[in-house]
Amino acid sequence: MRKLPLDHPGQADARTPWRFLRWTILGQWRTIAVAMLFGVIWMCSSAMVPAIIGKAIDTGVTGRDSGELWKWAGILSAVAVVQSASGIMRHRYAVTNWLTAAYRVVQLVARQATHLGGTLSKRVGTGEVVAIGTNDLSHIGNAMDVLARAMGALVSFVVVAVILLQTSTTLGLVVLLGVPFLLLLLGPLLSPLQRRNLEQREMMGHLANIATDIVSGLRVLRGIGGERVFHDRYSAESQKVRTAGVRVARLQSILDALQVFLPGVFVVVVVWLGARFAVQGRITAGELVAFYGYAAFLVLPLRTATEAANLWIRAFVSARRIVRVLALEPEIDDTGTLTAGPPENSELVDRASGVRVRPGTTTALVSDPPTDSAAVVDRLGRFADGEVTWGGVPLDTVPRAETRRRILVSDTGAILFSGRLGDQLLTPPDRPGHVEDALHAAAAGDVLDSLPDRLDAIVAEKGRSFSGGQRQRLILARALAIDPEVLLLVEPTSAVDAHTEARIAERLTSLRAGRTTVVTTSSPLMLARADQVVFLEDGVVAAVGTHHELLDSCPAYRAVVTREEADETAVAR
Amino acid sequence: MSDALPIAGGSDVRRYLRGLFGRHPRAIGIALALHVLAAAAGLAAPRLLGQLVEAVHDGTSVDHVDRVALALAGFLVVQTVLTRYARYRSQVFGEQILAELREDFVDNTLNLPIGTVENAGSGDLLTRTSRDVEQLGWSVRWAIPEWLIAVITAVMTLIGAVLVGWWVLLPCLLGVPPLVIALRWYLARAKDGYLWEGETYSTINASLTETVEGARTVEALGLQQARIDRVDDDITESYRAERYTLSLRTIFFPTVETAYLIPTVATLLLGGWLYLRGDASLGEVTAATLYVQALIDPVDRMISILDELQVGGASLARLLGVAQVPEDRVATGRQPVDEKIDAADVRFSYVEGRDVLHGVDLSVGIGERIAMVGPSGAGKSTLGRLLAGIHPPRTGSVTVGDVGLTELPLSELRGHVALVTQEHHVFVGTIRDNLALAVDEAATDARLLEALDSVDAGDWVRALPQGLLTKVGSGGLELSPAQAQQLALARLVLADPHTLVLDEATSLIDPRAARHLERSLAAVLEGRTVIAIAHRLFSAHDADRVAVVEDGRITEFGSHHELVAADGSYADLWKSWNS
Repeated sequence: MRKLPLDHPGQADARTPWRFLRWTILGQWRTIAVAMLFGVIWMCSSAMVPAIIGKAIDTGVTGRDSGELWKWAGILSAVAVVQSASGIMRHRYAVTNWLTAAYRVVQLVARQATHLGGTLSKRVGTGEVVAIGTNDLSHIGNAMDVLARAMGALVSFVVVAVILLQTSTTLGLVVLLGVPFLLLLLGPLLSPLQRRNLEQREMMGHLANIATDIVSGLRVLRGIGGERVFHDRYSAESQKVRTAGVRVARLQSILDALQVFLPGVFVVVVVWLGARFAVQGRITAGELVAFYGYAAFLVLPLRTATEAANLWIRAFVSARRIVRVLALEPEIDDTGTLTAGPPENSELVDRASGVRVRPGTTTALVSDPPTDSAAVVDRLGRFADGEVTWGGVPLDTVPRAETRRRILVSDTGAILFSGRLGDQLLTPPDRPGHVEDALHAAAAGDVLDSLPDRLDAIVAEKGRSFSGGQRQRLILARALAIDPEVLLLVEPTSAVDAHTEARIAERLTSLRAGRTTVVTTSSPLMLARADQVVFLEDGVVAAVGTHHELLDSCPAYRAVVTREEADETAVAR
Repeated sequence: MSDALPIAGGSDVRRYLRGLFGRHPRAIGIALALHVLAAAAGLAAPRLLGQLVEAVHDGTSVDHVDRVALALAGFLVVQTVLTRYARYRSQVFGEQILAELREDFVDNTLNLPIGTVENAGSGDLLTRTSRDVEQLGWSVRWAIPEWLIAVITAVMTLIGAVLVGWWVLLPCLLGVPPLVIALRWYLARAKDGYLWEGETYSTINASLTETVEGARTVEALGLQQARIDRVDDDITESYRAERYTLSLRTIFFPTVETAYLIPTVATLLLGGWLYLRGDASLGEVTAATLYVQALIDPVDRMISILDELQVGGASLARLLGVAQVPEDRVATGRQPVDEKIDAADVRFSYVEGRDVLHGVDLSVGIGERIAMVGPSGAGKSTLGRLLAGIHPPRTGSVTVGDVGLTELPLSELRGHVALVTQEHHVFVGTIRDNLALAVDEAATDARLLEALDSVDAGDWVRALPQGLLTKVGSGGLELSPAQAQQLALARLVLADPHTLVLDEATSLIDPRAARHLERSLAAVLEGRTVIAIAHRLFSAHDADRVAVVEDGRITEFGSHHELVAADGSYADLWKSWNS
């Protein structure tokens, strides 16, 4: 078996879905070829069993020769052993093919997601990409898996047809033409059945959504009432699904019956013709038994062919989705002409808003609405293109990797990843102890205390096991631990309580002393600690100063950061 | 804080199934009878072929051949028609059983004790709702019928074979020991192996989802290689699981196939020997061999579906487990004398031996507003839940009008105290549906709009083209967090409890919206007793009294001005906020 996963999934041909499927096949053609070989041996040895039983009846039983009987029984056993051995080998290779293709799809998509970065969610629904991981990988895998059986089916079908043709042209033609004809007969029934199936599946999806809705809102329901209403609504939808299921059953049962009937017709015709030949002495009694066996056997290649066609149609649909994602390119291009960025402690300037970030200080951005300051951060951190200079040079001439290394953006969309907590808190290699400082500054010590394994604790997917406030503090600690030259934080304390926020404001500024930090916020606790506050109106700088200066000099600023009614407090003081 | 929900034991599952099937004896009887008849009709072919072979050997006419072929065709038609109705009946029955199962499950979910709902988190329950219901659907729609059909076909085929001659049993029995041994070995391992395999795919999925949804974070932090390595590691683990189950099959499949071979070869040999001795006819030997061969397919299906049934059974056990959560309150029938909320020497722990509240006393005046402030993790939210009657205290008491909150039936409790959290779920349905659940479906539009007006939401709801009948929730109109919160508040107005516990109700909304919402909230709070867990100091300032909660105790308690004057931790905080 192959070593999986592959060290490198390679460069996929993502021009069209067919090219992608061809590329997938070519990448593993050796194991596919071996699987096909075993598939052919396996199916052909199955096809030989009826002939052997026929021979045993002819020479052994009716010939009254116990030696012959033993001989053919021995051959039957030998063929069965070959069949079972080649069967399991085919299965093993087919599984390898399935896995190779499926894992490769996952590897490609994961690499593409990291390549696209911030561009991904702007260009394609994340749900669509996630669906590749849940559904499409198995569809691509199935398409590779079925190749071996399809090849076996094709070859064994031809072999049986040839044997029958040699005995009788009529019989051979019945098989050669009859089998594809039977396939076609089932066709007209399939599409209405698929339609009804789809209908029911949609209703089931709807029903599942209602159930999910109930569970997600269960706190509300149990807290305030409404269980009866939701129970009745679920039951009503559930009964609709049931009715749709009955509609499916009406057609499905006909199809099931036809799957008994059509091959059965075939068996009857072959046996009838065979028996007439036998009466005429053209074939022996044993051969008649063999014919019966062939007719029964041919159901298998027939089913395999239908299955393979279905699987490949699905694989094509999946390949289309995969190709769409793989063909995307990041929108922040990396054509930086400079080899290195400006020297440390260079000034960042956003021309559009007029924001200047003084190196080595903490700058707070305040705006109404808060999205304006987040947009400034996007440009300063080069997650969106804009006229930004860094130490006088345009930011887009600096290589992207250099920008990312020196300027770190941690915004409200930042997520915690699952896995060991300590693995997320990366520090500069020369300062391993910095993690403690970062956790302390983010006031995340109590989060750590609540975990029995502390830094070894396993974080659930997207940090779900933490409350919003805990998650936000851990994300802040993660950004602080990296200790970047320039740190851009968007609303880092929006979900924590005032007590904690006060602590963070104090510790954050002292931890970042001498480093460049930008924070967007409207909390007085944070603003009071900033070296300078930049107030934006309509996306451009309206005032710059300390928190207290702006409180005194700028009524619009005061309105944003304190409550209008706060005036009475001011008077009271 | 997350307690897993129970899983039903084997005997409970069996009892439930007996009850379920006991309710539909007729439907089961008819479906089974049709399947048995269909399988019986299918048995004609080998028998007729055997006779044909013998007739051909002994010399016969074309006429006879035609008649036998016609008989074959006749049985085929009968089998087809019977199969059609047998399948139809069993599928219809399956849909019915499935509907009952899922409706029972949702019913049980809706009756879960409120403390369990608050504690368990929705993850486990969501998995049961989606994956287990789907898995069970697959089992009931496909695995169980296929398995039953396979069993019936196998039994009928065996009967057909024995009718040819009792001696056929001998070769069949030879195949049984290896089959049973291999099956026991396989089934003991398969379920865990496939569950492991399934989990590794969930892990791959989760990693991929994180990488995709966090692509921006990955870029910002330069985690590209780490994410790639993570996915590759997950694949490595998945490959290990796949290789394990493959090794199980590599042993199991050939063993089983050998077990199938033994009866065929033995029948041929034994039949041949009997024929040579003159104890069996050529037709009998042929028919017997064909029957034994025909036995392979149903037996194989029967065996290969067994592990599916195991997985379906596990899902059923998880679904039934939801019904086994014990009730967390017993109504004593005592009636509160007034609307006054009191907590006395309250201690509470989620995990035994680790109290998070250490003797809290709190007496809340009727109509009073109390703000609770304090660092996160100090126990504010826990105290809030106890004051809302979600959990009973470990020691001490929380009462309304001298009656313990958990002594009241849930429906009555709702009229006294309500807990409002920052989770504001919008249900899929109309705005009307979202509001009416707090009262009843017959509530007049005027009453609902009045509630919306009181929280300042009447204007935007009226401005919608379909007003109250606008569809919201996933797939419908997307509401802003502030609007969603307004709906939640309007629900409260309709439910009309005299006391409200607000937990960080406005913290996740941007400050402007929060201020606007506070005005909506003020209308809701009018005339009620309010205990607010405050993140922002605005609310504390407005409260009648402020309780500072630190380390599971109330360390400062008094009006805003008293506390500022007292110069404790609250005063420090207030100064830094307003300096």
